[in-house]
Amino acid sequence: MVVSLAAAQVWAGFCLFGIGFAMHRTGPAFKRHPAGAPVVLLGLAIMLLHSEPPSPESLLVQAATDAVPWIVSAAIGISLVLSGAPIYSNRKPLILLVGWAFILAAWYFMLGILPDLTLTEILSWLGSILGAALAIAVFAQSVRYTESKTPTEPESTPLSEKERKYVQSVLKRHLEASDEP
Amino acid sequence: MSPEMDTIVNAFLGSAALTSLLIILALLGTLNPYHRPAIPLTVVTMVIVISTYLASISWGGDMGTLAIRSNLVNGALSILDLLYLAFSVLTALILRASLRSRPDDPLIALSEAESDSE
Repeated sequence: MVVSLAAAQVWAGFCLFGIGFAMHRTGPAFKRHPAGAPVVLLGLAIMLLHSEPPSPESLLVQAATDAVPWIVSAAIGISLVLSGAPIYSNRKPLILLVGWAFILAAWYFMLGILPDLTLTEILSWLGSILGAALAIAVFAQSVRYTESKTPTEPESTPLSEKERKYVQSVLKRHLEASDEP
Repeated sequence: MSPEMDTIVNAFLGSAALTSLLIILALLGTLNPYHRPAIPLTVVTMVIVISTYLASISWGGDMGTLAIRSNLVNGALSILDLLYLAFSVLTALILRASLRSRPDDPLIALSEAESDSE
């Protein structure tokens, strides 16, 4: 039942990576959680900077290390293309071109490590999708159950005269601010 | 069970376990006072335990930390394989985004017209 220190290091890094990614997704798009990205990088460093990972974690570390070049190229390329494409602003051809160069490089790196496409491989992809879908469905059902068992808050009492005047003054201040000289 | 079938079953059980672990990590990373995570955490932990138990039966090994680690590694490897598929789809989507022309936005047109009139 004892887990070696090296195995614990890999899983601690993996957990930090997952927690950091989740933290980074919180908050509005223009102001993400400040600790998210550092925690992700710390987790990756702890997981991958390893002299001798034990088995079976060595397989994971090796696969992740092999995937780093194409995933990094793909991430840079996709973010450049999205900022250069005419989605929220006008087209920026130079940024688009550089982005597509990174995406082509990602394809080059990816094809170098792509496993042979056999029927077993394709069915295994299908198995992975079904497994992930099952876990998400079970989680969604448990959230639904929890929400159904959560007691509903009683209806709030109407605002008092004092509160009503306060809300009115706040709204007035904000709505009329643009009309003021 | 044939080795091919073994690979497919392990990919299924492993990715169910790994996705459950990622859900636990996401719950921890986004914990706030309005969360009620007890039941979801218990259920996804059960998914990890049950899938590992089934995987250990298919390997003919013992149910222990090594079985959990092996099952999670199998899941991570099979989900890493899915990234190839995801990147292919993503490439097609961003190709479409690169080639399309910017849609007309009535709000932007209105603000530009207003700024011109000032």
